[in-house]
Order: sequence, then structure tokens, then C-alpha cells
Amino acid sequence: MSTEPIAPSDRVTLQALSSISACLGIALLADLTTVPVWVSGTVAAGAAWRLGLAARGRDAPPRALRLAVALFAVGFFFIRFHTFNGLYAGKALLCLIAGLKLLETRTRRDLYVVALIIYFLCLASLLDGESFTLLAHAVAVSWITTATILRVAGADSPSRWPVHLRYAGRLLAQALPIAAALWLFFPRFGGPLWQLPDDGNGATSGLSDAMSPGDVTDLALSDEIAFRVRFTAAAPPPAALYWRGPVLHDFDGRTWRHALLRAVAAPLLPRGPAYQYTVSLEPSRRHWLFVLDWPFAWSAPRALLTNDYMLISSTPVTQRLDVTATSYADVAWTGALDAGSRQRDTRLPAGLNPRSLALARSLRDAHPDDAGYIRAILTLFHEQAYFYTLTPPQLAEDSVDSFLFDTRRGFCGHYASAFASLVRAAGIPARVITGYHGGTYNRFAGYWIVRQSDAHAWVEVWLDGRGWVRMDPTSAIAPERVERGLNDLVYGGAASTSRWQQRTPWLADARLRLDALRLLWRERILRYDQNSQERMLKWLHVPNPDQRKLALLLGASLIVGMAWLSWQVRRDAGCRPKDPLERAYRILCRRLARIGAPRRPHEGAEAYAARVAALRPDLDATVTALCRRYSDLRYGASPPDRAVFIAAVRRFRPRDFPASS
Amino acid sequence: MKGAARLRRVAELRLRRWSARRHGSDALSLTVGRRRIYIIPTRFGAALALLLTAMLIAGLNYNSNLGLAFGFLLVSLALIAMHHCHHNLLGLVVDANCEIDGFAGDAVRVEVLLRNDGRAERCGIEVRFAAADGQAAVLCSVPPTDMTRAVAQLAVAQRGVLRIERFELRTRHPLGWFRAWSYVHCPLTLFVAPQPAGGRAPPATAPGDEEFAGLRAYTAGMPLKHMAWKVLARGGAPAVRSYTGTAAPPKWLDWAALEPLAPEERLAQLCGWVLACDAAQRPYGLKLPDVVIAPAIGPLQRRTCLRALAAFPAAAA
Repeated sequence: MSTEPIAPSDRVTLQALSSISACLGIALLADLTTVPVWVSGTVAAGAAWRLGLAARGRDAPPRALRLAVALFAVGFFFIRFHTFNGLYAGKALLCLIAGLKLLETRTRRDLYVVALIIYFLCLASLLDGESFTLLAHAVAVSWITTATILRVAGADSPSRWPVHLRYAGRLLAQALPIAAALWLFFPRFGGPLWQLPDDGNGATSGLSDAMSPGDVTDLALSDEIAFRVRFTAAAPPPAALYWRGPVLHDFDGRTWRHALLRAVAAPLLPRGPAYQYTVSLEPSRRHWLFVLDWPFAWSAPRALLTNDYMLISSTPVTQRLDVTATSYADVAWTGALDAGSRQRDTRLPAGLNPRSLALARSLRDAHPDDAGYIRAILTLFHEQAYFYTLTPPQLAEDSVDSFLFDTRRGFCGHYASAFASLVRAAGIPARVITGYHGGTYNRFAGYWIVRQSDAHAWVEVWLDGRGWVRMDPTSAIAPERVERGLNDLVYGGAASTSRWQQRTPWLADARLRLDALRLLWRERILRYDQNSQERMLKWLHVPNPDQRKLALLLGASLIVGMAWLSWQVRRDAGCRPKDPLERAYRILCRRLARIGAPRRPHEGAEAYAARVAALRPDLDATVTALCRRYSDLRYGASPPDRAVFIAAVRRFRPRDFPASS
Repeated sequence: MKGAARLRRVAELRLRRWSARRHGSDALSLTVGRRRIYIIPTRFGAALALLLTAMLIAGLNYNSNLGLAFGFLLVSLALIAMHHCHHNLLGLVVDANCEIDGFAGDAVRVEVLLRNDGRAERCGIEVRFAAADGQAAVLCSVPPTDMTRAVAQLAVAQRGVLRIERFELRTRHPLGWFRAWSYVHCPLTLFVAPQPAGGRAPPATAPGDEEFAGLRAYTAGMPLKHMAWKVLARGGAPAVRSYTGTAAPPKWLDWAALEPLAPEERLAQLCGWVLACDAAQRPYGLKLPDVVIAPAIGPLQRRTCLRALAAFPAAAA
């Protein structure tokens, strides 16, 4: 193939090569973070090599060399990736192929292949990305790529870049409404057509499944969003927004860990108000799904409620995930705690934290009833000099003793850990819950934003006759001893804003509005599915909406779209001049042509009139007058009123036969 | 590859015949209507269709609404491109210029006039002429509300009357994803005169003195070369400078005078003489076995003679 001679019109020019290389480069910008550096480097090197050759007027490198480079690159690729499958590897391979194809580009057809690869690269970057910017980038890339194809395909009529860009822009703009109709009405299927390979790359974020407060000396609060929540009806009071995450049972003196999972939850009787809400989780690559206490119903694929009321997904949350759940704020516990759980939730590491054990014994002697004992611990936290801080000192080996008696400074984890230890020391079952508390209410769009900085830890205590009761020891600290960072919310205040937000309210508002847009994008665009289509059909008053009606609607809208398009393009290509005078003259000519006297291309108005007059003497006076008036309007120094002429043309309806016969 | 090419040729032939039956023969000038425009995707378009299918499957599989949106955007872009391709031909007014002749062995100019009444430029229109022994194509674009001459060079080896049964308008505008075309079944007749031979001197004649002899009134057919432009510019009646030599008696270019030569050689020689006489601005007449053209001078005479030579039946020779 490569030895075939190439027609000179088919040979690529340096200009076309550099255009398509630029398109490829811009397309790769979106993938720079996901594609390995050596792949991008190979693409850049291939483009540079080919451009360098073209600049010196040379053709692509010889076939053997090209083949060797391609084999080497693909071989190296396989060594690094061990697969060609999956989105991550596939995208990288596609980039590599684009670079190699660019290197061997000799004809127009090769350029077309590169253009197609660029289109596909744009799509690949959208498959796992979800931001608006990515879509805008893909559209921009397809715009300039289309302009490049216009340039290459219409190489015979040299025009400047702006002309082609404008034309490509017009094509895309005309495509937009039809694309929108297709997108809205094209039937969606529930799940993937086949199982997708999991790439398994990417870091985890958010809460982990263990907590060791003693080792943390600086709790950095990230503003990263953990999830957003929209309540269908009323929302619980802000202070009651405890988003339940990992439940920790096993304490080894320093670290709390969660125990083995067991599915069946103890039967609960719902009593209090029910709240229905949708949690839109950001990808965390962890299994936790965050719900309010106490979840009763949820819609999440492959999710499981454990017997300590964690909602766990069997696959890590790698993509944005929406969970709709119903929780009851108040429940009645019917059963008793089984022996295994009681044993597990009262266990303390042997021989550690002797001072706290002594403290627990003395408190227990004073308060033999469980509730009184717990109240006494909370009073201790409130009345003694305990401080809330995000930069606590490191704790010694006996972490609870060290915190309670020496440092006395810590954040929610410290208090939860110490509180649970003291409760367990009295033989009362206790467990530590980690999750999030509160959130920021977005009053512009009516939903809650929960950030990583809202992470919290609290304790649940088993009281015979009442079941598991939530205790938040952090909220027992006297407000004047909070050093910084803890939201007012913890103290039941309504305002849930941090200090900088209070100082610059407009900036906070702008941020909330931007986030509202993001949620709208996510709810309306990214999560558009079968149900949304059904809702849309209902909104359009289509009775009994189903997939068939959707397809009908798709067909109908396509027909309307194509008709509109046809009209649009015809208006440009077609026979309606802009100038009303010209239009009227065309009408005149058309009517005369219909009676057998078409204007010849070379004839001026007056010559035409003379010929018509010779053919049809009966029309002489009218046609001569009309044509003379047209000439005057068009070329005359003091043109008469054009409206008169146009009206006269409209009235002029010559008959097919001479009036005399 | 070869099989596919042959298949395509056969399909095109079928389509051409079918369209000829369907439209009958056309009269120029002709406006290209929607019923005579055919359109199919090109190879690039077919590759794009495959790619779009892959894109839609990927978008559905990954449940990616953005991927689907982008795929649908490209699908619509292809639909739009199809419309633009179709409308690039729709409404184009075609006329032919049959006043052009040529010589065997040279490239014969074939000319078609394309008029665009629309507001958008029509780009990349290819006009293809297919004669019995060769093809010619020319690529042109027509600006809005304007006219373009599409001139193709057709290489013709043999003298004769060349009938181009039809020509074809093709376009791949704008993106090369679709090819739209239309046949115009209107025969163009081209007279291909023999390649002039200059071996022999023209029949003996007394050369004129070529001396200026005064002005004569202009009548049609007189050589423009001798036009007295200055007289005309001064506002006088059109006049021609006359020379003593030009009044020389007409010369007969006779088929019979070239007795020993083969017929085609005789024709070639006659052709050479016609051109020589025309260049010298001397009146001449042509005698062929069945045709006698009275002596005259000027472009009309030249054309009449050359056409007679072109149309000289090969069997009679």
C-alpha cells in the first residue's frame, strides 16, 4: 500500500498536518491526568517527527521504520498495562494509536482516520467524567476538528480559518436541537449491557473504617463535598442530622475498628416522624452509604443493612451514586441485646488505661443506675476543664488515661473514644459511630451540602428498656472551651456557617449558587434515566407512558427537527433572495416563465420586456411598465416607491393564453 | 478490492440507466430538482457510522449521559452534513456551452455553465463528463447569486463528432461524509477536427501585396484584426482597414487535389490549410466529396469548415 503513488491532490500538506496535530493535542488535554506520561510523550514525539519531515517537504518515514515503531510502542504498552481492555487502558491505547497514525499520515484518508480517533477520544473522556467542563471541552474539540475536516475536504477552495470555523460552528449549532431531541427521547436501559472491568485506580477519600484519635495531632478539615441531600418533604432540625457511617466496636486501647458484618438487623418499630430524602454521594471508593438514623427503606443497588444499622454497598462507590432512603427519627427496640453483641460491646483491652477504670468505678458507685452514670460522665466533660481543639497533643500509650487526665484537649474522636471506654467500664454496652453531622443548607435550591469538614464521631449506648440511645459527648463541652472549628450547629444554633462565610456573605452566596447549579447538572443531566423519561412523558400528558411511546415521540421530534433543518438549509441554498425588490422581480419572471416566456440568463429587464411584448402583445403595456419600473428602482438616480412595484407584481397574474383568442 | 470496484461500477451503471429512463432526456437550461439528486455515504462516512454506533453502545453501556449527548451531537452533525451535501446541488441551474470545438490528439474543452441563485456559496461541485474514450472532470464552486464556467479538458484521440450523452454533477461538500450526485441526460455534441498537418504548402496563389488600400464599412464576419478601432473611438461608423492583398480571389481547398494520400491524411492536410488560410485572413472555400462550402472568411467560416472535416464520415473515406 505504501508504495502506491499518491495523487498530488490527496497528499497531505504541512498546514493540514499541523491543524490535525493541534486538534489531537487539544483533545489530549482532557486526558493528561488519566493517560500515562509516556503515552502523551509518544504522541507528541510522533507528531513532532511527522511535522518536522513535512516542514522539509518530506513524506512519512519508510514503511519498515513505521512498522518497527508501532510494534515497539504497542509491545511496550502491553508490558506496562498487561491488557488492552477497560476504559483506562483503552483510552491510553487510543491515544497511542492516534500518535502512530499521525506519524504515518500520507494522504487525506489518513487524516480522516486521525479525525475519527479524535472524536472517539472526546467520547472516552466523557464516559467516566461527569463535569460540565469536560462536555464543553469535547464540543470545542469536535468543533475545531470539524473545521479541520472542512479544510482538508474542501482543499480545492482555499479559505481562511475563520471561514471554516464559522461554518463548522454553524453545522454544530444546527445539529444541537436534533441532538437534544435524540438525547431526551432515546430510550435508556436500566444497567450496563455487559459487566465493565473495574480499573481499580484512584485514591479513597472520606471516612475510613478505623479511628485512632491519639495519633492525630492536626485534623485538617477539607472543604471537599462528601454528599448532598435533598429532602422530599420536611427536614429534621439541623441538630438532629446525624449521617451514620462506619460503626466501630473493637477497641484495643488506641484504635477503634469495626467488627465483622452481620446482615440481619434487630427488628425495630418505627415511631417518630419519617423523613424521605435522596443522598447524592460523591465517589469515595469506600463501601459506606450515609443515611440518617434509623433507615427503614432505601434504593441502592446491592446495598445491605447490617445489624448495627450501617448501610453498606457490596461494591465501592466509584461513581457518583444517588441513594433514596426513608428514615424514622424515633424507633422502639423490641428485642433484648443478644449475648454476643453485649459481650462484644462491653469489652475493653485488659490492663490498659487503669486510671480511667478507677474513675469509672468511683462514678459507678455513686450512680448505680445506667442513665445516671452516663449523665455523670457528661457532666464531668462539661464542668471540668476539657477543651475542643483540632490540633490536639499526641497521646501516650494509655490513650484514654492520657486524654482524660493529662492533655484534656481533643476533637470529637477523643471524646467519643473516652466516653465509650468509660461507659463500657461500667458494663454498659457502647459503640462508636463515625459519620457526618449537620451540613450547610443551600437556601437557593433547598438542599444540604455535607462536606468532609462535617465529619463527626459519637457514641451509642444500650440502655435496657430503651435500646440503643445516641449520645454525643462532644456537645457536652462548655462552649467557652471550644478553641476553633466546631460549627455552632453542635450547640443547637441555627446558623451553620463558618466565620469566613459570615464575613463575606456574598462570596458564600455565590458559592452556594454555584453548588446549586452543580446539583442541577447532576440531577437533570447526569442522572437522566428511564424514570426521568417517564416523568417527562407524564409532563407532556402522554397517557400510559412506555418505551414504545417514547420511540414514537423520538420519531416525531426527529421529523420535526429534520423539517426545520431542511427549511433552514433551503433558505440558504435556495431561491429566496433577501432583497424584497429582487424577490418581486423573481416572482415576475417566474409568472412569465409559467406562460411560456422564461427570462434568459443574459437578458436584462428591458430586453426581456421587449421579447415578452413580441410574444404576447396583450401583455405589452403591463410588462414593459413593470420592467421599466424595476430598472428605475435598481439603477435609477431617484427611484420611485418600491412598495408600489412590489404590490403591482403581486397583482400581476398573466393568463396562459392571449386574451384575444 | 477489485470485486468491490466492479460491483460499484455495475451498480452505478444500473442506476444511471434507471435514472435515464426515469427522467428522459433533459433540455438545458435545467434546474437540479430534489427528485434527481442521489446521495450515499462515502467510505469516510461509513467509517464514521461505525464509529458512531460504537460511541452509542459505549455511552449506553457506561450509562454515561454525557457520552450519549456527545454521540448524539455527532449523529446530528452527520445528518446536518447530509442535508448540506444534498442542498449543495439542489436548485443549481445548469446550462451547457456547445460552441466549443477541438482537435484530435489535443485536450478538447467541454464547458458547462453553473448558476447559483441561492444565498450560500456552493462549494466543491465536480462536473464529470464521460465520453466513449475518456473521462474528464472539473471541480469548481459557485458564489452566491453568480455563475461559474466549469471547463473540463477531455483528451480525444480520434477525429469525429463526439457525443457526450450525459454529464454528472457530484459533490462531497461539506465534510466528505456523503456524496451527492445528479445526472444530466443532455447530449453535448463536440466536433473534433483532425489534427492539422502542415506538410504541404496551400494551393498556389498569388500572394496579395498586403498594402493598405483604405477603409471599408464593416459587415459581420469581417476579421476583427482589421477593425479600425480609432475610427470607432472617434464616434464614426465601424470600419475595416482593407488591404490590396485581401481582395485576392478565393482559394479552393480541394479533397480531390490530395489524390495520392490516405483519407485521414487528406483531412488532416485540409485542416492545416483551413487554419493557415484563416491565420492569413484569406478567403477560402472547402470541397469535400459530398460537401461544398462556399468561399468566405471569418470565425464562422472557420468553424463551418472544421465541423465539416470533423463530421466527414469515416466509412466514406
